[in-house]
Amino acid sequence: MNLFTSLTLTAMFILLLPIIMSNTQLYKNSLYPHYVKTTISYAFTISMVPTMMFISSGQETIISNWHWLSIQTLKLSLSFKLDYFSIIFIPVALFVTWSIMEFSMWYMHMDPYINRFFKYLLMFLITMMILVTANNLFQLFIGWEGVGIMSFLLIGWWYGRADANTAALQAILYNRIGDVGFITAMAWFLANLNAWDFQQIFIVQHENLNIPLLGLLLAATGKSAQFGLHPWLPSAMEGPTPVSALLHSSTMVVAGVFLLIRFHPLTEQNKTMQTLTLCLGAITTLFTAICALTQNDIKKIVAFSTSSQLGLMIVTIGINQPYLAFLHICTHAFFKAMLFMCSGSIIHSLNDEQDIRKMGGLYKPMPFTTTSLIIGSLALTGMPFLTGFYSKDLIIETANTSYTNAWALLITLIATSLTAAYSTRIMFFTLLGQPRFNPLSPINENNPYLINSIKRLLIGSIFAGYLISYNIPPTTIPQMTMPYYLKLTALAVTITGFILALELNLATKNLKFKYPSNLFKFSSLLGYFPIVMHRLPSTMSLTMSQKSASMLLDMIWLENVLPKSISYFQMKMSTIVSNQKGLVKLYFLSFMITLTLSLLLLNFHA
Amino acid sequence: MKPPIFIIIMLTVISGTMIVLTTSHWLMVWIGLEMNLLAIIPILMKKHNPRATEAATKYFLTQATASMLLMMGIIINLLHSGQWAMSKNLNPMASAMMTAALAMKLGLAPFHFWVPEVTQGISMSSGLILLTWQKIAPLSVLYQISPTINPDLLLTMATMSIAIGGWGGLNQTQLRKIMAYSSIAHMGWMTAIMAYSPTMMILNLMIYITMTLATFMLFMHNSTTTVSSLSQTWNKTPLVTLLILTLMMSLGGLPPLSGFIPKWMIIQELTKNEMIMMPTLLAMTALLNLYFYMRLTYTTTLTMFPSSNNMKMKWRFEHTKKMIFLPPLIVISTMLLPLTPMLSIL
Repeated sequence: MNLFTSLTLTAMFILLLPIIMSNTQLYKNSLYPHYVKTTISYAFTISMVPTMMFISSGQETIISNWHWLSIQTLKLSLSFKLDYFSIIFIPVALFVTWSIMEFSMWYMHMDPYINRFFKYLLMFLITMMILVTANNLFQLFIGWEGVGIMSFLLIGWWYGRADANTAALQAILYNRIGDVGFITAMAWFLANLNAWDFQQIFIVQHENLNIPLLGLLLAATGKSAQFGLHPWLPSAMEGPTPVSALLHSSTMVVAGVFLLIRFHPLTEQNKTMQTLTLCLGAITTLFTAICALTQNDIKKIVAFSTSSQLGLMIVTIGINQPYLAFLHICTHAFFKAMLFMCSGSIIHSLNDEQDIRKMGGLYKPMPFTTTSLIIGSLALTGMPFLTGFYSKDLIIETANTSYTNAWALLITLIATSLTAAYSTRIMFFTLLGQPRFNPLSPINENNPYLINSIKRLLIGSIFAGYLISYNIPPTTIPQMTMPYYLKLTALAVTITGFILALELNLATKNLKFKYPSNLFKFSSLLGYFPIVMHRLPSTMSLTMSQKSASMLLDMIWLENVLPKSISYFQMKMSTIVSNQKGLVKLYFLSFMITLTLSLLLLNFHA
Repeated sequence: MKPPIFIIIMLTVISGTMIVLTTSHWLMVWIGLEMNLLAIIPILMKKHNPRATEAATKYFLTQATASMLLMMGIIINLLHSGQWAMSKNLNPMASAMMTAALAMKLGLAPFHFWVPEVTQGISMSSGLILLTWQKIAPLSVLYQISPTINPDLLLTMATMSIAIGGWGGLNQTQLRKIMAYSSIAHMGWMTAIMAYSPTMMILNLMIYITMTLATFMLFMHNSTTTVSSLSQTWNKTPLVTLLILTLMMSLGGLPPLSGFIPKWMIIQELTKNEMIMMPTLLAMTALLNLYFYMRLTYTTTLTMFPSSNNMKMKWRFEHTKKMIFLPPLIVISTMLLPLTPMLSIL
């Protein structure tokens, strides 16, 4: 007996306390944010203990608490699966959330509803925990929907702004399309395997698992903004920066990838699924990287960067490396959250300016933010021995040495170099050069909340990769031997991307601005995807339904086909028949013709 | 016209038809039909107005052509069989020609163009004779050659007649034209069954003649020739409105009136011969006929048609027209259905 289960449940329960207390005087207190932040830091510390236990002894647990109901032969109960994935993800998520909470104490301090904001963030975190620790699909779905709802509420935080409302709705709609896939998978599992528990699903041998796996892939496409269901992620930047940092970079959007990782015993055997996943991820990562190249809003660039990294995670699943994908999730959380927080610091300092064309020369006035931005970007691009290197480089190496789709691999490499390109673009436009913002900007990064939170994530961005990689239990063996050019591929394309971007950025300072080329338009209009797909299908389906219901059914079938056409026909015929000219010669002519015809036709067969 | 002349002419008409009915020599058939034709021309021209003249001319031309064709058929038959007797096996070409000729005489489609125009041009009683008595002779000849007639030809003419009778009557307000199209339709029903059971043709003819006689007599009693004047009968003789109702229903072929008997029997005979679509089609086009009969009853019996005010109070004069056999005729045309099993006498 050890404290594994008790501590985990304690950590979860602690998170619930501020929500439970929200009806009391505590909620109306101005110290509520501080209270929430400390709660999360305690939960983090407590949850580190089970993680240490897991690292030292490899102990995994399934806590099955409460039997909710049994529907015929299906038993639904509250059960937590604390295995490799959940145990490592929980402290990472709590750590990042702790920093973000502290950051938003600075960022949102002028907001009159800051208590509600913190409550929403906390509720989001709880649902994410439910999702990650779920042992059956039902509980996972509860968490899944929960994060979707909280995402809606948080994106539309400034609901007076019409764009924010449409963005929140867009997020819900795209996620819903993915939910259809999720429910298909649940229904299939229920009908064919009679189980929603992971243990039962992974044991059963079924010859054709295409349908549920396709459903899960669709769910991941919706939640993790893969190509086809991706426009909601850039639009979700309408929410406050802490929301973007927490939800749309580290935690919620990885839920889709997490789902696919959870089902890795099933995807291991299905080659079709792996190919599909690989190609989908490859397309996503390249497409969003291209789109990121020409955006002008700093948060949108980082959002597309998130989308590209999610594509990379899906690619990793596609080459049958779930553990590497999970590693990338954990490391990505650190530097992406930090990138968002740096952007938030810049935005607030420049009096809510988000356009990088109106920033510049922040290198000297904001040294700390500059440092963390540069280190975050370097970690993102996979600079050796920073955090991102331990996951990203391994992924590229494994993809290079595995028997995989060469085209998918090629575009992943191109996307990697584009990562470096747009990171250079961010740094160039915001930090370097002469200032392009208003002279009287309140540039200030002196607040301890800001500094401490970014500092924590900075240390994480530098060391977390090393710490995590060398402390986790061994899983799949990475390929150790490969030719030197394959080993250096990631580094080489990244450096190429850096150099090219820097040269281009410097060169454009001395050129005259010509009319944008078609490629530029493609990139800055997000590949025309939102423009076309938000209007065309809705118009077509609404027009079709109107035509089929009102025109086709009502006016044509019910009114016209029998009633009106019959009456029209009869009236036409009667006027034709009764309208005879009185000319007898014509009558005789008709007689003659009839006679001849009848004699000819009817006579020569009898 | 003067009574003695009228009697002689009527006798010629009747004897012409009698000759056709009773003879078995082809030449006599032709002679009888010619007598019929020539004698009826003065009757058609009872009123000496240009319209009657034109109607009589059209009638004469058409019927003369028909008689010529009939003669041609007879001679071809003579050529191929070498004798004048009316026998059952006719040469196919002769049979086709004779059928065409008799169809012209009857006013079947596609030879129907003269019927409405002639009927409209003449007086009501002449029209009566035209539409009833004149059908007997050609139909009896057709009865006798019915085994050899090409069924395709007959059925084509029948379907077309019923359809044209239906559609043509929809657009009319003159009563004589309505009755003309009604006659075309009924001829169609008769020819439809001729190839399979000529007895039913006779049945249809009988009932058709009674109904048409009754209808015409009612029209003559009221001296109406248009629908709008028929719609005033509620003021003159209200009994006539009721009789018009029942007669129109019977003409349309609605059970339980006797107009239903021929239709029922014909459809039964046709289905016994494995023709399903055909009687369905015939019955559906008969609905067109029913529609304009219903229109007549609607304006006459069922509603008070719009009229000017002083028409609403008419003096009731005693009617002086002689309507022979009108009550029995009406009874026969409406109440004969329960006696259908007596068909076995035919």
